[in-house]
Amino acid sequence: MNKKIGFTCAYTPVPLIEAAGFSPFRIFPESKAPDQAGHLLHDNLCPHVKKVLNRALADDLPGLEGMVFINSCDSMRRLADAWHEARPDDRTILLDLPSGINNLSLDFLSKEYERLAKTLFKWNNESFSPEIIPEIKPEIELDKIKDKIATWNLLAASVKKIEEKMSLDYFPGIASALQQIINTAATDSTDKALAMAQKKIEPKEPAKAGKSPVFIFGNLLFDPKVYDLFEEWNVHVTASDFCTTSRFITPVDTRTDNNIFRSLADSYLKQTPCARTMDTAKPGSIAQRIVQRAKESNAKGVIGFILKFCDPYLARIPMIRQALQKESIPFIMLEGDCTMGSMGQQQTRIEAFTEMLGV
Amino acid sequence: MMYEHFDNAVKGITEKLNQDPEGINARKKYALELSKLGKKLYSKDENIAWCGVTAPFDLLGSMGVTSCFVEFVGAILSSTQTAGLFLEEAEDSGFATDSCAYHRAVMGAVLKNAMPEPDFIIGTSSPCTAGLAIVENFANQYKKDFFILNVPQNYTKDAVKFLAAQIEEMTSFVSDHTKRPLSKEKLGIALDYFNRSSQLLKDIYDLAKTKPSPVDNKFLKDFGTVMALLMGTQQGVDICRAFKDELNHRIKTGRHHASKEKIRLMWIQNRIQYPFPINEMLDDLGARLVVDELNDVTWEPMDPDKPFESIAKRMISIPYSMDTSERIRHMQDLALAYRIDGAINPCHWGCRQGTGPRGLISKGLKDINVPVLNLEIDCVDSRNLAKGQIETRVEAFIEMLS
Ligand code: SF4
Ligand code: SF4
Repeated sequence: MNKKIGFTCAYTPVPLIEAAGFSPFRIFPESKAPDQAGHLLHDNLCPHVKKVLNRALADDLPGLEGMVFINSCDSMRRLADAWHEARPDDRTILLDLPSGINNLSLDFLSKEYERLAKTLFKWNNESFSPEIIPEIKPEIELDKIKDKIATWNLLAASVKKIEEKMSLDYFPGIASALQQIINTAATDSTDKALAMAQKKIEPKEPAKAGKSPVFIFGNLLFDPKVYDLFEEWNVHVTASDFCTTSRFITPVDTRTDNNIFRSLADSYLKQTPCARTMDTAKPGSIAQRIVQRAKESNAKGVIGFILKFCDPYLARIPMIRQALQKESIPFIMLEGDCTMGSMGQQQTRIEAFTEMLGV
Repeated sequence: MMYEHFDNAVKGITEKLNQDPEGINARKKYALELSKLGKKLYSKDENIAWCGVTAPFDLLGSMGVTSCFVEFVGAILSSTQTAGLFLEEAEDSGFATDSCAYHRAVMGAVLKNAMPEPDFIIGTSSPCTAGLAIVENFANQYKKDFFILNVPQNYTKDAVKFLAAQIEEMTSFVSDHTKRPLSKEKLGIALDYFNRSSQLLKDIYDLAKTKPSPVDNKFLKDFGTVMALLMGTQQGVDICRAFKDELNHRIKTGRHHASKEKIRLMWIQNRIQYPFPINEMLDDLGARLVVDELNDVTWEPMDPDKPFESIAKRMISIPYSMDTSERIRHMQDLALAYRIDGAINPCHWGCRQGTGPRGLISKGLKDINVPVLNLEIDCVDSRNLAKGQIETRVEAFIEMLS
């Protein structure tokens, strides 16, 4: 089994981790680890960061060869800071991630991704033969990265096909199966995830009627069981926008630039549209994107699952609400920690919402 | 309403200063200049830019733009005890009560049309993601053009180059809106004022280190952050000089409050903005706030031949942009230089950036034997203030230090 590299944010390019010979291990904020994050950080940080830190403090993690942090928001920055205290022996790297999308940002991010690649290759070489650091052979490394990106893109294409089916019809169990595929890519391997995805492109069961088509969005929703619950509660998830669902599998358009890192930067900054990244030419465009995605996926309503204390999302909710209202698309926002544990409390509201939407 | 507030303040302070033309009156002169800035922002006949906290106000000023960080308005609303109305407006419109009240108050003011419309908006990723999110809301609400300065956290050559290039690009963005090109000469003058102000700031902070310290608990309140709005101007230099003169005068005449100094304290991040008698309370207990975390000169002098690079380095160097370990190192240096006995961290509710690393900061200062009092307080929103509880904790802390 490959050695693992831990990471927490969807702006971490998995193909780089795999090209360097590691397995990706996205640390999800789910664990029975006791709540100790408050010793290092304030309690008003998002549950994502606190729970991941709880895992680190309780050693509820597999062996990690290193950690990749992204300076994506204040809470993530603080997580990187606290990690040094929680696990001082870990090798870590923090990448700066620009907030606006323009040429300068893309150039800078491409250098950051290159720095990540170099660091990962170095980490692997060092741990193979600590005494002799083998000569870096850039062409071989670039070829490896291109290979991994090619597989990643196949996975992205398969995921897209599954999503297209989901938006047209309700196939019981497909949303949960898709989540399992994405989690496999995040915590195990792209190859395995791709094999799983290819089997799911053609649904085994026929489509069914009788559920309310809903588009869901927010920060993280990663437990496949949550999607089964939604079905029980009369929800047909037509599409979703979380950094743990399909937006995590960002396809990388290698035709945009000869420099592979610039292609990665282009693809991730433009296509992983978490609320923390902004298109300065269109302030508030996140609201339009959610309206558009809801419409494209034939949803009748929208549910937002937002983590408590998440500034990037919470500050955009009023504009999202307004944009949906303008289009007469019903919307509810549920605030919580987005794990199975907190989901039970949302049942009544979700059922009432779908009842109001009808089928 | 805000225009009247600043206008009255300008008139009132000018009158007082005229009554005492020979006096040094540093804080009055400072308040006067800030009120004049406020009046300009609300006067409708200036080129206005609403910005993030770390924007290069000296550069913007040299381009004829009146600019200010939006949190300044949040602080003014709080200090005039009018924030409640605006906080409610923002909350009714869906802005979370768990968010930073500086931003919530100013967003409420935007929604109530109590803010002057800017010509354009310049966001900065330092200090916080929340600040950037709020200025995006501004841009969306006013339908105004929006520019972001991404301030990297890693202090590397590439990071400085990246930020410097953005600052240069920002000048084209500004010129496009004002139809005035950047004048190297005017920028050179602004940077010269900035450098002279920086040197005076260093002198001021050195004087504050004296034991007993000539500062009183209010004297340098939020000075480092707010002075950035004025430092590229002659007025900024004059104010700094007045502060320096006043400290020297206090030391020379021994007429400062230092006689009561038993305990020396550091204040972490921002002060409480609404009227709350913590300064008086500390005074009564013989404790003096001799240093604020953000009152420091962390940058080299600006080089007029490399203006963008100099400004970029300055922006990355300030505590707002630092990672926590560096921020702690900076606090430790201040703690030793000012010979403090303890520190107060107000833990402003909703601030992930400054308050976020609460435990790490306590530990970092404990490592050099400086105890920290973590107060859980909202520095802007006084609606849920547990006054008695805070007083008890402050008293107990000072007693423990004594
Ligand atoms: S919500 Fe955004 S910033 Fe946070 S982990 Fe996900 S992609 Fe990264
Ligand atoms: S974007 Fe929000 S949820 Fe995601 S890590 Fe940052 S604060 Fe947490």
